[in-house]
Amino acid sequence: MSVGRESLVTTDPGPGIAARARGGRPWIVAVVLLAAIVALLVVTSRPSDYTPLSTENSTDTGTRALAQILRQHHVEVTQIDRLSRAGIADPAATTVVVANPELLTSGQLGSLADYPGDLVLLGADDSAFAALGLPVETALGFLPEVADAACQDPDAVAAGEVRVDHLGVRATAGGDVTVCFAQRDGAGAMARVEDGARTLTVIASTGLVTNGRLADLGHAALALRVTGRHPDLVWYVADGFDPTLLTWAGDDAGGGSGDGGVGRETLSELEASPDFLPPGTGTALYALGLALVFAAIWRGRRFGALVREPMPVVVRSSEATRGRARLYRRARATGRSAAALRAATATRIARRIGVPRTAGRADLVESIRRATGRSTAEIEALLYGAPPADDAALLTLLTALDALESEVHRP
Amino acid sequence: MYLTGWTVALAALGAVPAALSQSRGVAFAWMLGVALLALLDAWLAPRTATVGVRREAPASVRLTEPTSTRLVAGHVGGRRRVRGVLRDAWQPSAGAARTRHRFDLGPGEAATFATAMRPTRRGDRHAGPVTIRTAGPLRLAGRQRSVEVPARLRVLPEFASRKHLPSRLKRLREIDGSTAVRLKGAGSEFDSMREYVIGDDVRAIDWRSTARRGEVLVRTFRPERDRRVLIAIDCARQSAARVGDAPRLDASIEAALLLAALASRAGDRVQATAFDRSERARAAATGEQIMPLLAEALATVEPSLLEPDWPALLRLAQSRVSQRALVVLLTTVDTSATDSGLLDAVAALQRHHQVLVASVEDPEVAEMAAGRDDAAAAYAAGAAARALLEREAVAAQLRRLGAEVVLAAPDSLAPDVTDRYLALKAAGRL
Repeated sequence: MSVGRESLVTTDPGPGIAARARGGRPWIVAVVLLAAIVALLVVTSRPSDYTPLSTENSTDTGTRALAQILRQHHVEVTQIDRLSRAGIADPAATTVVVANPELLTSGQLGSLADYPGDLVLLGADDSAFAALGLPVETALGFLPEVADAACQDPDAVAAGEVRVDHLGVRATAGGDVTVCFAQRDGAGAMARVEDGARTLTVIASTGLVTNGRLADLGHAALALRVTGRHPDLVWYVADGFDPTLLTWAGDDAGGGSGDGGVGRETLSELEASPDFLPPGTGTALYALGLALVFAAIWRGRRFGALVREPMPVVVRSSEATRGRARLYRRARATGRSAAALRAATATRIARRIGVPRTAGRADLVESIRRATGRSTAEIEALLYGAPPADDAALLTLLTALDALESEVHRP
Repeated sequence: MYLTGWTVALAALGAVPAALSQSRGVAFAWMLGVALLALLDAWLAPRTATVGVRREAPASVRLTEPTSTRLVAGHVGGRRRVRGVLRDAWQPSAGAARTRHRFDLGPGEAATFATAMRPTRRGDRHAGPVTIRTAGPLRLAGRQRSVEVPARLRVLPEFASRKHLPSRLKRLREIDGSTAVRLKGAGSEFDSMREYVIGDDVRAIDWRSTARRGEVLVRTFRPERDRRVLIAIDCARQSAARVGDAPRLDASIEAALLLAALASRAGDRVQATAFDRSERARAAATGEQIMPLLAEALATVEPSLLEPDWPALLRLAQSRVSQRALVVLLTTVDTSATDSGLLDAVAALQRHHQVLVASVEDPEVAEMAAGRDDAAAAYAAGAAARALLEREAVAAQLRRLGAEVVLAAPDSLAPDVTDRYLALKAAGRL
């Protein structure tokens, strides 16, 4: 192809990577520094926890104070967010604390019932009591009140008196259970069952273990004695999103748990979470999220700069007239509007019937009278009458002027 | 550098190993690998300077008519084959439809691409830079760089009113034909002698020539020719206001073009000027050569936000036309005419010339004047009536000075002005 090769224009070669790096050194240093600071912050920061009854929560509703005191007394406190991560080595030397038992699934309650070690429930729920074989039921107190131990349990006696909240427990008929800190109407703050080798404790008034109330009355004594019996403490706050089951050593494969012979401690996290989505979905979504960055660069890179174009001003020619109309309206200038409309009508009629512009008022009225047949007084009133008083009168006048104009015929 | 969709697809494919391994580390490593691969591909891509480009734009095009500009791309460096995409950027109102062109050039090869255009605004449309993307061997990424290749497309006025030209030319010929049998009088001048044929007006017989030649001869006449027509287009403040979709100036330009086309065919000498405080454009030629000159000159005239300087126009007219002429002022007739000096200028011009003042009327104001729906419409009608009365008063003043006044909607301004010109010509008032 014959092309004038010498007339072709090429792009500038550009400064090159090395030159650009030299020129942008401060920027590179700044970006690296910023990345380092962000990384440091990410690594050192701990997500704040506001879950009630969580040992990480340092607000009034949390239980961090209790966990700290227990740790000072050499109790190993472990908070788990999935029940399957408990991994209890020795049930005989471990206390399991479960908060919010009403959020546990029936499978989880079954695994708790099978658990041979000590168990503490923070909260009260009838279905949980039934599953665990506790002969108690929930009872609603009327008002919070302070109650004495009033039972033979050594922990309760040591605590003396505690505050009982609305929610309490009451022994069912014929059950072998110790209910302590009973209110006058029978709702107790704590219930305890010695079930062979293990002790099941229910603390229905969960308020007494929280940071806010731990220092009051005998709360600290009760909480520490109940949870600090063993050197290991597993703390689980049920949230309703975790369907996994409790695991502990010695819960062997065939061991009467009735779940198809799969040993719980051998379950991987994958198998213990009967999720609705296939495994790995989360990671795949994470990868797709990262791929989105590439998509953003792909679509965001502009194919050359936009071309600027000076645009003309846009002012409508009727703008001034519209402005005047708004002024008339705001000022309710019926007189001015009517005068203009009357003059315009008179001019149009005069042009149509051939009255010269120089003709006087009387001549015009006479000519219109002859053209329409209306009376002089009527025409006078229409074209030269008093200004209308309000909007309605203005509209009426307008209609009358239109009617007059339509009646005018060329003589 | 730029990325292609393939990079994104490859990155999205990383979801498979990530799902299988259930490790975010794997996903992250995959993305890092894709990024490195894309960087490598961009580095391997040929330099954009391998491709040289040149623009070939047509000189001018009429508004709303399609055209196309050409972009020549040639391989000018190295021995590697180069693939990629070119973007032929133009200002938006140039109406370039497909600005991206794929190319695949071997060493020494060249290719020509056409970019179809349909301009949407009058004036000079300028080209933007040409952006060159060269693709890497893996098609994941490439290099991108822009180069300025200046080019200009002049968009001439639409001249939509040329559809009125045939009927006006016919009218012109009618005037022409009727004067052949008409007595000598206003608006006509002696043309030639010819033999009497039955039907000719006997009063046209030239007895002296008949006696000399021995056969009956009649004098024929033709309309006046070689009259001067000066068209002055006001491109000041008022011409920027929009009537309908277009500024007043566009309607004035249409009227000027139609009048110039007709007057030049009628044998008159036309010159045109666009002015605000000074002359912005000018065209003068004898005969029909005026048309391309006028279109070219008026193409780039834009409304300026200045007051028109009418005394300056007066001096301009005096220096341009010495004989009696028809001075057509394409401007705006409203109350500002008294302050701006339009009336004084028309009075001064009318002393030596015939003045025709043409103004675009806003149909919206007429609509407002007819509004009867509610109180707001009634006040609008009042305001519109006031505006029309004021304009009418100025028009009457202009008429009293002896000037012709044409007030018309944008679409009918051009035919109305030419009709008035024909009427003046027939009446011999030029």
